[in-house]
Amino acid sequence: MDAKTPASVAGTNIKVDIRDLSFYYGGTKALKNVSLPLYDRQVTAFIGPSGCGKSTLLRILNRIYELYPNQRAEGEVVLDGENILGSRLDTNLLRSRVGMVFQKPTPFPMTIYDNVAFGIRLYERMPRSELDGRIESALQRAALWTEVKDKLKESGLSLSGGQQQRLCIARTVATRPEVILLDEPCSALDPISTAKIEELIDELSAEYTIVIVTHNMQQASRTSDHTAFMYLGELVEFGPTEKIFTAPDKKQTEQYITGRFG
Amino acid sequence: MADIALAEQMSSVPERAAAVRKGGARDARFRLLTLSAAVLVLAIFAGVMLSLLLGAMPAIKQFGWSFLYSEAWNPVTEKFGALASIYGTLVTSVLAMFVAVPVGIGIAIFLTEICPRPLRRPIGIAIELLAGIPSIIYGIWGLFIFAPWFQANVQTWIVDTLADVPYLQDIFGGPPYGIGVFTASLILSIMVLPFISAVTRDVFETVPPVLKEAAYGLGCTTWEVMWRVVLPFARSGVVGGAMLALGRALGETMAVTFVIGNAHHIQKSIFAPGTTISATIANEFTEAVGDLYLSSLIEMGLILFFITFIVLASAQLMLQALERRAGGAK
Amino acid sequence: MNATLYFRRKLWNGMFLFLSVLAAGFGLIWLGFILGALVYNGFEAVSPKLFLEMTPPPGEDGGLANAIFGSVMMSVMAVIAGTPLGLFAGTYLAEYGRYTRLAFFVRFVNDILLSAPSIVTGLFIYELVVYNVPGSFAQKICTTILGSACFMGHFSAVAGALSLMVIVIPVVVRTTENMLLLVPNGLREAAAALGAPQSSVIRAVTWRAARAGIVTGVLLAIARISGETAPLLFTALNNQFWSRDLSQPMSSLPVVIFQFAMSPYEDWHRLAWAGALLITATVLTLSIIARVLQPKRSH
Repeated sequence: MDAKTPASVAGTNIKVDIRDLSFYYGGTKALKNVSLPLYDRQVTAFIGPSGCGKSTLLRILNRIYELYPNQRAEGEVVLDGENILGSRLDTNLLRSRVGMVFQKPTPFPMTIYDNVAFGIRLYERMPRSELDGRIESALQRAALWTEVKDKLKESGLSLSGGQQQRLCIARTVATRPEVILLDEPCSALDPISTAKIEELIDELSAEYTIVIVTHNMQQASRTSDHTAFMYLGELVEFGPTEKIFTAPDKKQTEQYITGRFG
Repeated sequence: MADIALAEQMSSVPERAAAVRKGGARDARFRLLTLSAAVLVLAIFAGVMLSLLLGAMPAIKQFGWSFLYSEAWNPVTEKFGALASIYGTLVTSVLAMFVAVPVGIGIAIFLTEICPRPLRRPIGIAIELLAGIPSIIYGIWGLFIFAPWFQANVQTWIVDTLADVPYLQDIFGGPPYGIGVFTASLILSIMVLPFISAVTRDVFETVPPVLKEAAYGLGCTTWEVMWRVVLPFARSGVVGGAMLALGRALGETMAVTFVIGNAHHIQKSIFAPGTTISATIANEFTEAVGDLYLSSLIEMGLILFFITFIVLASAQLMLQALERRAGGAK
Repeated sequence: MNATLYFRRKLWNGMFLFLSVLAAGFGLIWLGFILGALVYNGFEAVSPKLFLEMTPPPGEDGGLANAIFGSVMMSVMAVIAGTPLGLFAGTYLAEYGRYTRLAFFVRFVNDILLSAPSIVTGLFIYELVVYNVPGSFAQKICTTILGSACFMGHFSAVAGALSLMVIVIPVVVRTTENMLLLVPNGLREAAAALGAPQSSVIRAVTWRAARAGIVTGVLLAIARISGETAPLLFTALNNQFWSRDLSQPMSSLPVVIFQFAMSPYEDWHRLAWAGALLITATVLTLSIIARVLQPKRSH
């Protein structure tokens, strides 16, 4: 797959605006005044060497860092006009709009059906037939339906790694979020599953705003419209993917792209 | 695919907010439930201490400190002293440790280093089954089987052999009853050693394998690796485990009650009968007439709780120290 | 290389390893000795009569029916009451309060209660429910907190069940917390990332993932209380006759064994052995089932 053409960039709205964001683990400043826009229904990739802060940045967007003590964020992250870092915001509500898929596939210890239904059941009551339909469409969107449609009652843990990850994706899209965060979703998978998921990302980007963290540069250039290159907690450069990978502004970016370090 | 998306409406944010708010109250209630249960644990502990203290008050007021050093035990004249019981508790437990600690550690070494792999699990399970046998079983086994056997085969022999050895004849002397302080200690040690073995095994597994490999790599024999590298590293854990076992031994009731002889005297010979705090309480509680009698028994319970608390608390702190070190070493 | 030094090291090594093997043998021999004696002495008294007839006065024939019933009854009550309390407390320690000071104290206290002498916890229930030692201060406090439900004035099965419950709770708390801590954080994050409130994460995902381990903990608690004698001595006491009245003293296997074994009567001794065999068989079966269910220990 070629790098995405920049034709769709012009004139798109900003879904999430990150303004002057800093993040602290205890006393250590892990993210330093990062500002960048995430465009609606486009794929943005965060790249950079290990420890550069890309996963940290991603995990702020759904405030999942709050599960752990001694971590705090400063600055603003504006989703559709509202700052999600504000203390009055309900985190559960936020997470229903901003979904996340993790590096390690995490199927819940329940049936495939119940896995996908889990998120739906948190917010909506509906008759069984409607639920069945929602689950089918979620699994179809995750390109998993044909493989599991006859074994919905089996445990989610009985699937292969690639299938489990697609199950997690189905689970996430079932709640109809607006933004989907992907934290190195393919790093635990084989090349064939990886290719399937990259195809999926392309399809999903028609409906959802997608942010993907990856340490695989080729994946970033294949799947994303915009790329942010980070280094040591700072945003070094942000721009359309084609530009970042062919004619970056910063020397550091160029060095990373060409493999001089990282 | 795109037509599926267009055909469906996303559920609105206000609808979702309502659902989330409903769940919020339930969430808070659940949290409160778990918090209350945790506090209940503290309440039980406080309740135990408080009830013992209050129940012992009459005896404390009557006897004061003399309760701790008086050997008297006379329900008729209502003069009570816990010395014989405290002595028995401490002596049986310490003697039991003398046997159980080396044997327990030996078993742990056996299971971690020497035992052939396929046998490791079954033998390990067998040793742990020893720990699961309730103490009353040890009690009746001790009374009906062990004590007579011990008396006939071992005790008489020891008493006769040491009859003319000046110092030892007093410690191991006296008529061979079979039951007594020594027998109780031995049975206690058998009860306690699987516990030491299990804790020591767990502690051995926290030792980083690289440490052992380095020692073997220098040419150390198995024994040297255990004695010079593993045990020193795991020292606080092993000691902590031993103290936990001591804490349990101190409180053991049934295993000891049957075979200790129930005599409120301190005697030189460890073959003589004696008593422990828990044995006294178990034996005399239901017959205790009079509030002072009852209160004295409860005061002994208080003393026992106090002793075990100190031992168990120190054991905890030691084990936590080891855990922190092992965590840091990772 | 110094040959004599090397030889001496080898000798020490061989000797101590031999001693370790002896130690293991020592342990196994006693296990065999005890189990063997149990089966040998208890087996002859095992018959349907054991389960059908009451505990007899000395010199007469009988069984252990009321004792068995009493033990089962009180153990069931203790487990039904104690397990949810232990489960919730353990959940607090692992999920909500993991890093708090309160959790630290609760854990500390819980582990002490876990190894504390059961005779002492029995005294606690005695004073709480059975009889209040006259000391006006004690009575005042108790009645202020619990009202007239404070002391019933006599031994009862309920008191016995309570004293067993006090033993069940710390066991369940500890195993629940340990098992919940083993559940990988990724699972919790994935559920939270869908917007599930913490109680849903715990109930639908974390508890379910730790289910086997928690059940193991309950089984171990049951095994532990099956053999407990001391606390029952001053709460449920004993009852020669068949009784289903929970507010009256109730017979139990361990107490009957205690009474019969300490007596001078031969047939009572026989029944004591039979009871001992029953208890041991129950405890060992539960322990083995718990082992089979237990997820691998991870270090």
